[in-house]
Amino acid sequence: MRRALTLFATLLLLWTVIGQANHALTGWRVYLFAGGLFVAFAALTQPHGPGLAAALMGGLLCDATTPVTFGTHTLLFAAAHVVIFHIRDRVPREDTIASVLVVLLTNLALFLIFSFSQIHDSPAPAAVWPRLMADLACSQIFLAVITPWFFALQAKTMALAGPGYASTG
Amino acid sequence: MPFKRLDQTRPFVTLALIVGAWLLIPTAIKTLTRATFFELTAPITITADYARVLKEYWSLRLHSKDELIEASRDLARLNSSYELAVQQNVELQSEITRLESLLRLPSFSEYRYEHARVARRDFSGWWQRIVIRKGKNFGIPPGAPVVFTGGVVGRVTEVYATTAVVELISSPNVRLAGVVEGDARPLSFQGGINPTFAPPTGVVEFMPLDIIATTQSPKRLVTSGFGGVFPPGLTLGTIVRADSGNDGLFKSGEVRLDERLGSLTEVTVLVPLANLGGR
Repeated sequence: MRRALTLFATLLLLWTVIGQANHALTGWRVYLFAGGLFVAFAALTQPHGPGLAAALMGGLLCDATTPVTFGTHTLLFAAAHVVIFHIRDRVPREDTIASVLVVLLTNLALFLIFSFSQIHDSPAPAAVWPRLMADLACSQIFLAVITPWFFALQAKTMALAGPGYASTG
Repeated sequence: MPFKRLDQTRPFVTLALIVGAWLLIPTAIKTLTRATFFELTAPITITADYARVLKEYWSLRLHSKDELIEASRDLARLNSSYELAVQQNVELQSEITRLESLLRLPSFSEYRYEHARVARRDFSGWWQRIVIRKGKNFGIPPGAPVVFTGGVVGRVTEVYATTAVVELISSPNVRLAGVVEGDARPLSFQGGINPTFAPPTGVVEFMPLDIIATTQSPKRLVTSGFGGVFPPGLTLGTIVRADSGNDGLFKSGEVRLDERLGSLTEVTVLVPLANLGGR
């Protein structure tokens, strides 16, 4: 439980950072989506139970603060966590570039699924795609920059929470 | 070997169980969870905004006294013109009341103005909303219209203990009736197309064929007052393009919204006076 709550605390910090960045970017009509970062570290380095619990709590956090059907982020994050956890033995987890790639691919998948689930409300769905693609490009660049920092932060926080928490138990 | 295979499928079984459980959870529990998680984030949102206010305060402290004297002089001039407008407004208000009683017309809804600071702006291609720093503690009701100096901002969709969520008119989920200024025929307005690095836009539908709007001669779109949520005559945006629809009966067009919607810091919630008793 402590492991999951510690992971959730770092996700709360990530949510705050992304929220503040999006607040500052509203004048430019740019939006950053960082769903991949909410699940990647826990799925790559943590045991299944606490990692999944953290991903679920991160999803609930995102669901509560966005106007989507409650559970959309939660179930998407849970699915992403399970998929990454399933393939993690084939990923060089200690390699930063590999971690960044996992985050980027996860984020891409989550963004596209999320977009298809939300776009039906738009008066002209086809006209929204250029905006979504611009947001996706900005999000991916942003994630490529902050993923090493956030992974290091999560690893340090886990190490502080308990011995052996920083990696798979 | 079968044990290893079973072990590999366990995460997927867990996921299936979670999805199944999620579908079975009663809506009341989901609503409560949503409110709980939102309230969990409210102190973070408000603290971040207080930090921004403090930063603005210290940056304002850097202004010289000469600049402050100039600003106060400009404000004094502006105030004198506003005082004149207030006097005229009182005169017009009493005229409206007199005419309403003479003609036995139903009077317009009255509102209390609740000014609120924007704690968080959240504008994506999917939704456009802001979180304001006032909620149930100031009697903000769900559905209340929100305005700013440029016209309509949107309406309150969710109200929490100390915060409220406002859905902007640029959001695809917002649809309301408007009229072209000087015309009484209602149109349907919907927000939704918000291109990157460009002002927000919306669309109008069911526009009469005789209304012509171009970028050279745009038409001002205002609230109609139908439905009783928004008072009539508030600016929604400017119709810059109008094309004939496929049915040939109506036109549809593009509405350019106020660019300042992207940098809102203060808004005013119009709280219907009928709601005051519920506080």
